Amino acid sequence: MDRLNRDAVIAIVLLVFCGVFFWATFDIRQPDYGVLMPSTWPRVVLGVLSFLSVIYLVQSLRQGSEETEPEDTAREPGIRGWVLYWRNPLWCFGLFFVYLATLPVLGMLIGGVSFVFVLLNVLGGWDRKNLMLHAAVALVAIGGMWSLFTFGLGVLLPPGMILGYF
Amino acid sequence: MIIENILAAFVELGNIKTITLMMVGVAGGLIAGAIPGFTIAMAVVLTLPFTFGMPAPQGLATMVSVLVGGLSGGLMAGILTGIPGTPSSVATTFDGFPMARQGRPGLALGIGVWSSFSGGMISAVLLVTLAPQLARIGLEFNPWDYFMLVMFALTITASLSGRSLVKGLIAGAVGLLARTVGEDEAVGMARFNFGNDALLQGFDFIAVLIGLFAFSQLLRDVRDPEAAKKSLTEKGTVHAKIEHLAAIRVLAKHWAVVVRSSLIGVFTGILPGAGGSVANILAYDQAKKASKTPEKFGTGTPEGIIAPESSNNAVEGGALIVLMALGIPGDVTAAMMLGALLIHDVVPSPTFIAEEPVLAYSIFIAFFVATFMMLGLQSFMLRVFVLVTKIRMYMLAAVILGFCGIGVFAINNVEFDLWTLLWFGILGFVMRQFGFPLAPMILGVVLGNIAELNLARAMAITTDISPFFTRPWSLFFLIVAIFSAAYPLFQAHRAKRKWTLFYMPAACFAVSVPLFMMGGIPRPILATVVVALGAYELWRRARNGWQLAETQGDEIVEDG
Repeated sequence: MDRLNRDAVIAIVLLVFCGVFFWATFDIRQPDYGVLMPSTWPRVVLGVLSFLSVIYLVQSLRQGSEETEPEDTAREPGIRGWVLYWRNPLWCFGLFFVYLATLPVLGMLIGGVSFVFVLLNVLGGWDRKNLMLHAAVALVAIGGMWSLFTFGLGVLLPPGMILGYF
Repeated sequence: MIIENILAAFVELGNIKTITLMMVGVAGGLIAGAIPGFTIAMAVVLTLPFTFGMPAPQGLATMVSVLVGGLSGGLMAGILTGIPGTPSSVATTFDGFPMARQGRPGLALGIGVWSSFSGGMISAVLLVTLAPQLARIGLEFNPWDYFMLVMFALTITASLSGRSLVKGLIAGAVGLLARTVGEDEAVGMARFNFGNDALLQGFDFIAVLIGLFAFSQLLRDVRDPEAAKKSLTEKGTVHAKIEHLAAIRVLAKHWAVVVRSSLIGVFTGILPGAGGSVANILAYDQAKKASKTPEKFGTGTPEGIIAPESSNNAVEGGALIVLMALGIPGDVTAAMMLGALLIHDVVPSPTFIAEEPVLAYSIFIAFFVATFMMLGLQSFMLRVFVLVTKIRMYMLAAVILGFCGIGVFAINNVEFDLWTLLWFGILGFVMRQFGFPLAPMILGVVLGNIAELNLARAMAITTDISPFFTRPWSLFFLIVAIFSAAYPLFQAHRAKRKWTLFYMPAACFAVSVPLFMMGGIPRPILATVVVALGAYELWRRARNGWQLAETQGDEIVEDG
């Protein structure tokens, strides 16, 4: 997708986003008191954002294909190429999502150590030498931080069902 | 009175625990600043959760120490490996790395360290003297003025932080909108919660900042699988011993560069939106122009290290002046500092220094003390830096992502904040990829409620909107906001279009109007000087027959 299309698509997405949020401002309850209604400021911001999005859209359409995104030569075309190119950030997002989703069960200590250990292996490779190193790094780093917050700063971090059982 | 406050602040900070925490903070900042891809703002924001349980002066002194350490840490990587540790030390590599390659890494480091120290000291002195004066001016501000000040801060940040003004402004507006989610502060009505109770509390702004900035930056750092597996040691020499005495002699010889660059740093810091990344390039450029041997720049000349390092350390002093006096953060790092202050129930405002003098001066003194600590710790941290450079980027990223999770949860003990971290991490990453600068968005998030509250206060006083355009300070900020918004256009068309010849004179004439309206004696005098400057510029252009001169625009990089 060249820059023209990409920027225009982003501008349209922004306009749709503004529309949805503007619609949602009608759900905000208006009290009988106060001069500035709770919906006024969001509407002002949405108005400005919509106006800027229109300018962005016009700019991207007028630019045409003059200014195109420099292509990364190492990137394969197609969805497979896109996934391969962005695989590390995608893994990070995906694993963090799993970490949060399993937090009630695993808790912050087990979940955190597991998250860092798996992420280290995904990013650095799964060979035997790395496996030991990554396990040690995850355990020391997250275990140390968990201990510091729990025992040093007195912060109650989520124990999860497993640790909670003990 | 000032002496009493300074002494009281010394007493407040002068205990073993605080001093130890400050030393740890400076050391941590030095290492964080030295790691390319790990910015000062990230170091400051990741330190935040550790300071919750501390008393306000202690926690804030620790944060200031991390900040000061981070400002100086970038020079180690820049000089020894040629890779700037932070955007604030980009220009340091221009001459620092060549000098190191010529066999004088110790001298290059020494010049960098002592320049950082000098810049920090000069800005600390100005911080202590100027912040209370600026706060006195801030007492004149009414809600209309504050609202316009926020608009000005957002506009200038958008115009300076990226190539596209529209994208910068969109980012700022998205930041303002993000802050409206949850119960509004004026009347407590739910907004944009879409039936979800967790959204009623709104997005915790520290979680938003960590997500937008730290999370998205770490993911960028590991995007390339091969680069993520590399360590810094493969990219240069990291063995050196700092030559302090030789460096002091060099600095004494070039004291004018130190003073000029430090002043550039302080005033760049005062200007909202322009951070260390702008100051170091600006100071380097000015040093080159003023030098008798400009051709030596880029080959390892001492002035090329002194200028950027003095200026980048002086920047935060300038940013803290505005933050402490007016409550307006000048850049991303200052926004993180504002977060730290708010967590400790400290709300910076024009009355803050007068009402909480000991706490305010504790922050000023912490800046002083941390600068001395930085000087003492640099030699030791150089050895630690050698060890840190052996760590691979992916390890650092994975561990810090884990730390982010624990740190963000610890802010409010609310699981929803972790989801905020993830969603804003994704948003920040996508925005960076699509060329939207993050600095305006972060300022939008930080300043959103200040703008809304002041708008509400202004409307409560009168529903008439004319004070926004007729009050002198409000008009002043509106005019500078308009001219700063037009600045990218001016830069793009400079030396190409006739109208650019009138940009500076017009700005001078326009700004003088509210200055005249303010009354008194100094401000009308200042207004007259500004008018004279504008008239002189106009006359100079007329004398040249309205010729378009060839100039080169400077591209400004977003501060990390």
